[in-house]
Amino acid sequence: MTESGFIRHGANQYTAKFSDSEKEVLINLSEQIIELLGERSDHSHSDPLAAMVGITSHDNPPDDEVLFRLLPNAYSDDESAAEFRRYTEATLREKKRAHAMAVRSHLINASDGEVDLDHDSAMGWLGGINDIRLALGVRLNVEENSHETLELLKPDDPMRPVYAVYTWLGWLQDSLLQALMNDASENE
Amino acid sequence: MVKTSDKLEEELRAIFNADRLWVTVVWDDPVNLMSYVTFVFMELFGYSKERATELMLKVHNEGKAVVSTGSREEMERDVQRLHEYGLWATISREDI
Repeated sequence: MTESGFIRHGANQYTAKFSDSEKEVLINLSEQIIELLGERSDHSHSDPLAAMVGITSHDNPPDDEVLFRLLPNAYSDDESAAEFRRYTEATLREKKRAHAMAVRSHLINASDGEVDLDHDSAMGWLGGINDIRLALGVRLNVEENSHETLELLKPDDPMRPVYAVYTWLGWLQDSLLQALMNDASENE
Repeated sequence: MVKTSDKLEEELRAIFNADRLWVTVVWDDPVNLMSYVTFVFMELFGYSKERATELMLKVHNEGKAVVSTGSREEMERDVQRLHEYGLWATISREDI
């Protein structure tokens, strides 16, 4: 288990050390997010020019609950939401995929388990870890005040390891946030 | 100073404000960390830690908060950036 999470080095650098099993879990989850977001891509776009500028042929919200949380509606009325989605979903999907890919490639390249981030890559990590937490949160059915129930999951409950990873990622993300915010307050 | 009539003043105000009647609303979410929401507000909007914390607490305690106001185009940009970082945000018309 990572002992301290992310800690700050110098003015603009954040470092954490991951065990092999932690790396494996996080790489695997990042790949699942990349794959999931890829499912929404238009492989058979009828209009190549539209595809090139990021306009999707579909404007319906995703059926999958996790995808819908990652790519939510921007308007409460369906018509405006669909219109907005048509012009922006492809871009949002690519940005999210880029965050997940950044997490994945940092970990794959961390031969000794040490990950070094600058401010920009830290933003990618925050977004990437958050998407994984959102996805796990949907699967775990996390709601306000449901943590007590989740803490009491039986050892053989298949959701127990999922909740353990979810909790670990929250802790990891918070360590990066604390490192970043201490930094920010010193620059004020 | 030239005094404009009330009617004209009203019309001018309507013209200049027509473009600023939209808001970005962030909704409470059981997954996002409080520290994360605060940091995203600071980073995306350039808000101070105090202002960002205040808005985060409003979202947490009241279920939602208006985090930015402006033209529809500006709000669409804000919502897309908030979605990029996984916050649950929507655009709506400001309550007049």
